[in-house]
Amino acid sequence: MKMENHSSSSQEALMLNHLKSILLKQDRQEIDSIKKTLYTKEGLEKEVSPLIEERIEYLKTNFSKEFGIHVDNVIEHKLEASKEQLLNVIYPVLGQMIRKFVSFQFQLLKDRIDQQVSSVFSTKGLIGQIKSKILGIRSSDLVLRDIDKPIIEEIYVIQRDSGLLVGSYSRQETMDKDMIAGMLTAIKSFAQDAFHVEKQELELINYGNFKILVQNFFSYYIAVAISGSLSSQEQDHLAVILLEFAEKDMKGVSLHLITSELTEEVSSKLEHHFKKDIFA
Amino acid sequence: MISTKVILTGSFGVGKTSLFNQFLFNKFSERYLTTIGVNVKKKIIKVEEEELSILLWDIAGEISQDKVPNSYFLGASGIIYVFDVTRPLTYKNLTSDIDYLKSKIPGVKVKVVGNKKDLITPQQLLELEEELSQPADIYSSAKTGENVEALFEILGRAILGKEA
Ligand SMILES: Nc1nc2c(ncn2[C@@H]2O[C@H](COP(=O)(O)OP(=O)(O)O)[C@@H](O)[C@H]2O)c(=O)[nH]1
Ligand SMILES: [Mg+2]
Repeated sequence: MKMENHSSSSQEALMLNHLKSILLKQDRQEIDSIKKTLYTKEGLEKEVSPLIEERIEYLKTNFSKEFGIHVDNVIEHKLEASKEQLLNVIYPVLGQMIRKFVSFQFQLLKDRIDQQVSSVFSTKGLIGQIKSKILGIRSSDLVLRDIDKPIIEEIYVIQRDSGLLVGSYSRQETMDKDMIAGMLTAIKSFAQDAFHVEKQELELINYGNFKILVQNFFSYYIAVAISGSLSSQEQDHLAVILLEFAEKDMKGVSLHLITSELTEEVSSKLEHHFKKDIFA
Repeated sequence: MISTKVILTGSFGVGKTSLFNQFLFNKFSERYLTTIGVNVKKKIIKVEEEELSILLWDIAGEISQDKVPNSYFLGASGIIYVFDVTRPLTYKNLTSDIDYLKSKIPGVKVKVVGNKKDLITPQQLLELEEELSQPADIYSSAKTGENVEALFEILGRAILGKEA
């Protein structure tokens, strides 16, 4: 039995070896062919390209679904981070007003990023989605939400073309209002020119806890800087009041020449209308 | 007091921003708003007891003059056209440029300034005057400050209709 076992097992071993070498040969051939595919550029390209193509095609239409939120997050984080830096440097020096201008800057930045995003991923639907995400995300959702009710900090009547200040009312004394009016106008129209934004009746610039509502009229516009949060009803309410103001108080006012008398007149009308809490 | 918009124009490097900076120093406009494309400063001048508040606009940075948005010119009562007395290229289109500006903004008062006066001799200045297609209103140096006040005064006079 022992012998038999031995001889049959040595036979088995032989068979096994034979089998092994056959198998290994096949394996080796396979490995060689895989190597050829893997290690030569042409081979790899042939195999992988269709897969990548397919994936690219898929991403072209589904990019926003797959990555939209990440893009949003990255952009939003970058904006938040640089805003913080910017504000830290300039805020102590420049006080309240600059915050409002910074909000413009960031609006421009957002628009620019928006444009970049759209030139990189030129798929219509995707742009729409990212755009709505970027523009739609309220900073108040990211920053601590301020439950303050809206307060009109400042209100300016500004001649549309020249940017000359026609009248103003502020709760607190701020920087030179003539210059603010000029800047605001420059920013507004430069942004319009640069980004080919349509002229709108009503513009709302939203940033952090600050909003600037701009109501355009024919030869002038009214800019209102508001702190606190502004609901859409309150925004409508404000728009109505601005229209009333324009209708009643600006009606007979000639803007042909901006004199200090005119500025005083319009300013006192503004004070009369906006000193009281219109959101009460 | 009347408020008025005045813009600076002229080729790159002639000294517009340097003239602008001769206006009251203002950190606010100077340091942070240049990226917007334009800077605005205010100066109140007095012409024969009458005050004029000038809101002066300057194109910031790299924007080339032919890319200046239309809105820059809108509503201006005064234009300061600056050229560089050391660079003929900056005044070779003087007359056609000024005609163009006047057609673009009817009624606008234009003052032509030859800047960088400090870089040339009185003799060279005389030669330059021969060369110009139309006379400059004033020669200034934004570097030394020479005639900068005077420039705003003659423009102010023109705007107020009080030209001597
Ligand atoms: N020597 C001299 N240099 C000047 C004068 N005005 C401007 N510059 C210089 O000319 C260069 C361009 O001036 P800048 O104001 O930026 O020109 P802009 O492009 O017209 O705004 C700068 O290096 C200035 O220092 C001047 O009156 N005299
Ligand atoms: Mg300049």
